[in-house]
Amino acid sequence: MTDSDQLHPYVEWIIREARRPVVSDAEARDRVMAAIHAEPVPRRIGVWQRIFAPRVFSLSPVTGALLAAGLVGIGVIAGVFTSNRDGRASVEQPPVAQVVRPAVSDTVVKFVISLPRAQQVSLVGDFNDWDVAKTPMARSAHGGLWTVTLPLSAGRHVYAFVVDGSSWIADPSAPFAPDDGFGHANSVKIVGRGSSL
Amino acid sequence: MRSRRFPATALVVRRAAALTLRAATFVVCAATTLRAQDTEPDRLARLDQNSRITIQILLDSAEAAGLPARALRSIALEGVSKKADSRAIVSAVRQEFTLLRTARATLGPVDPEELTAAAALLRAGAKPAQLASFRVRQKGRSDLQAFTIWADLITRGVPSEDASSAITKLWEDGADDATFVSLWNNVQSDILRGLNPGTALQNRIRETPGRPPATKGPPEGQQENERSE
Repeated sequence: MTDSDQLHPYVEWIIREARRPVVSDAEARDRVMAAIHAEPVPRRIGVWQRIFAPRVFSLSPVTGALLAAGLVGIGVIAGVFTSNRDGRASVEQPPVAQVVRPAVSDTVVKFVISLPRAQQVSLVGDFNDWDVAKTPMARSAHGGLWTVTLPLSAGRHVYAFVVDGSSWIADPSAPFAPDDGFGHANSVKIVGRGSSL
Repeated sequence: MRSRRFPATALVVRRAAALTLRAATFVVCAATTLRAQDTEPDRLARLDQNSRITIQILLDSAEAAGLPARALRSIALEGVSKKADSRAIVSAVRQEFTLLRTARATLGPVDPEELTAAAALLRAGAKPAQLASFRVRQKGRSDLQAFTIWADLITRGVPSEDASSAITKLWEDGADDATFVSLWNNVQSDILRGLNPGTALQNRIRETPGRPPATKGPPEGQQENERSE
């Protein structure tokens, strides 16, 4: 379509109209330009503005729930690492005689045994589920005496000492409990009821 | 959306959000694991499945029968700590269950501590009929100390009949806890000095007077602190 003679009359009209110079009112042109100049020049956006400028995020409900759970988890982790179960600071303590605040109905009992050659002694019994790791005894400053103090509920308690993690011995200063069938004697402690055993 | 004005910023924010999400997921998993480790594991889980189920049935049966299941659990845990064979542990728990039932049939409804002490006494070698004298008692009087000393005497080698008659006589004469403790201290020291256990008991029981039972004991729950030294 290089020959304009072949153009459709309507197209030719469009071309003519397009080529016709636009005559605008000078006053109107000045008003438009004034309005444009009145607009503030966009400033360059700084780093801080980028950081603190409010934004709109879109998160799915699942993502939002996971994010919330994560924040809760951070709180739990912080709790785990700053305190132990009874709420005290988790500072590593040497295995000394335990002095635990007893319940109102409990009686504080001190267990003592003389084992000069022992390297490690634990108290086990029905009050600590016979767990060797739960109640380590402390060696006294004067040699072979091992002691531990703990609160016990009133009643009959069966216990034994574990020496160096392997040897089970009964308390020689307390009544014996008959063998339960496991080959080691135990001892009995009667707490409360006016007993001195 | 304004973030579309800063496509680079939006990208950074999205990446940061994704990173935070991953970190949060990790923290949740870690926290759950740590909490699980912090929870004390059931030490009976070390037993094989059959033994564990049998012991659980015995514990449930004890509770249903009103027997102190705590005593059974304690024996099971003692066996685990002493690294006993699973069958030996089940056998010990089963025997304790039977003894507790026998003790209650003999003594009637007594508190769990006395029932456990009576079961230990039966395990030591006392006969159920020998406990019959303890079925009737004054209000507030406990046979816990008497049963403990009695079981100890048998365990140390005093003939069961001798121990039974000595302790029963003291009990019927109204001996208090201090009297039983004193008898035990004396007999134990005699045995440690080399005296025959039976003879030691006979000698000491002759010089132990029966006392009238205390008419007014301390109120329950009000106990002085004590030391085992």
